[in-house]
Amino acid sequence: MNDDYSSKWGYRLKWLYTLLVVTTLMLPVFFVMYISFNENGFGARDYDFTFEWYGLIFSDLLMMEAITSTLNLSAITVIFVVPMGLITAKLYKITQYPLAVISLMLSPLFVPSDILGAALLVFFKNLNGAFTLFGEWVGVSWFDTWFDLGYFSAIVGLIIYTLPYVFVVILITMGRYRKEQTEAARSCGATAWQAFWHVEFPQIKTGVFSSCAFTLILCFNEYTRTSLLKGGFDTFTTVLVSQMLNEGMSEQSYAMSSLVSYIAIAIIGSVIIFTLVRSERLERIARAKAEPLMAS
Amino acid sequence: MNKHTYTLGTRRGGSNSTSPFFVAYPRLGSFISKWVFAFPVIFMGLFFALPLALTFVWSVFERTMFWMKPAFTLFAYENFFTSARVDNFLASMGHSSISVLIAFIIGFPIAVFVRRRVPQVAQHRVILLFILPFAVSEIIRIFALRPFLQRNGLVNDVLLKIGVINEPITAILFTPTGVIIGEVMSFLPFIVFSGFLAMEAVPKYVFEICEDLGAGPIHVFIDVIMPLAAPGIFAGSLFIFVNGLGVALLPNILGGPGAVNAGLIATQAISALDFPLAMAVSAIMMATLLGLLYIGHRLFNLTRILTPLS
Repeated sequence: MNDDYSSKWGYRLKWLYTLLVVTTLMLPVFFVMYISFNENGFGARDYDFTFEWYGLIFSDLLMMEAITSTLNLSAITVIFVVPMGLITAKLYKITQYPLAVISLMLSPLFVPSDILGAALLVFFKNLNGAFTLFGEWVGVSWFDTWFDLGYFSAIVGLIIYTLPYVFVVILITMGRYRKEQTEAARSCGATAWQAFWHVEFPQIKTGVFSSCAFTLILCFNEYTRTSLLKGGFDTFTTVLVSQMLNEGMSEQSYAMSSLVSYIAIAIIGSVIIFTLVRSERLERIARAKAEPLMAS
Repeated sequence: MNKHTYTLGTRRGGSNSTSPFFVAYPRLGSFISKWVFAFPVIFMGLFFALPLALTFVWSVFERTMFWMKPAFTLFAYENFFTSARVDNFLASMGHSSISVLIAFIIGFPIAVFVRRRVPQVAQHRVILLFILPFAVSEIIRIFALRPFLQRNGLVNDVLLKIGVINEPITAILFTPTGVIIGEVMSFLPFIVFSGFLAMEAVPKYVFEICEDLGAGPIHVFIDVIMPLAAPGIFAGSLFIFVNGLGVALLPNILGGPGAVNAGLIATQAISALDFPLAMAVSAIMMATLLGLLYIGHRLFNLTRILTPLS
């Protein structure tokens, strides 16, 4: 593919530069990993290699509880946001107002976390107040806790945060799909659902699954929205922050963060490798199909 | 539903039916499929657009002891514009602009390089590398910058050892410089992503023509790449600029006393239970964002970014 006249060395240098930037961005991550193996913890003068902190992660009950609740929060968000992203991507393809749809879906990217968090916090507090008043008026207490800050509001915040990413990823994978395929399936007698599930979905599932993984990671690591909209110190990031503010992060926290980053890197890495293998296989198939033509 | 049960009969549900279940209830089927498609839009309208629009209303409410009550007062705005907050806000705009510039200079050439020289099949994977930093929570990443930048941190250690400086630099942490470094470290991938999308508007043959005509790289960049990729570059830059203004964590962890941005003002106002002030800051942020989007749209026609998506 290297069809220009530039020097091989310039090309290598540019690759080196790209990888250097990625490495620089990863430095803080690598540093946390480095600390997590130090027996003496953060900021100590001596460095003794140990696995001790990793062994102790699971004995940190507060952290374990926080991780369980964060995982629940992330999983529920994924369950809602991925179908929503998929539906919106489909809507974008069929609607008469694609510009309105895409502007609404992508604009959360441009609203900073603290601003959106603050606006939603006040919104939910107001909504709660209104519903409580309404409940008092009709004489039931049923509405009182509907919009309390808690899991519900946090999930709403996380859905708004992650929906643009899911939408874009699925939309990009949908770019290769041609709607004539659906038409063909429909004229062969498949229902809309069957045409989607058996014809379209297999072709976009890479996008769907990678957006699941990405959403899970984003939600797990999100701090601002979770802390503003849920409150309390009982999720992974809020516990970390409370530790930072109080006695400094515990050694187990470094180990835990590293563990999370290993998992996340493994997930993203396997997505990269999976798409690599898949695209190479597809290319091979395409080449095999093209060969007889080339020969003739 | 089994694969082998496709029959023409299942189409009785009408063209809108979503599943064989709805064959028996065609009306219900079309009703549901209509609302299913509308659901995300309604959701975003209700929980995203509405709260942000209402910030303008809440910002003129009157502050009470723990909450606020409906009224019309510009007290919150007065509070913002006649205190150090507005200076901090303007200063953070300056810092944010510097971050945008640095991120652009470092990140955009990567997008150009990937689009231009990396084989088509590998392009997306190279770009995917830049989401690796997101694997670790933003707080940890920002917090981990501290030991790098502090007085006896890694950067100073290395610079001292190779003899570039004689005594440690203290100006890189708990100063605006620290915040700028944090912003570049956190948001650089976004200029790579948006630059990558933007470069879709610059076909590869354009470079070949430029080369054949003997244009130098700077010439190509200013006269060819910039005008074609402008909407994408603007979107990426706006993203970094706005987040630099609105993410409170960065000045909170890396900034010193003077480094306060809009996000931090808003969260501090919420901690102080001054909700109208928080809403006024949000409204000012929204107004800034909408103003910049409008200017960008007038200058570059931002709908051009969407071409590769549709």
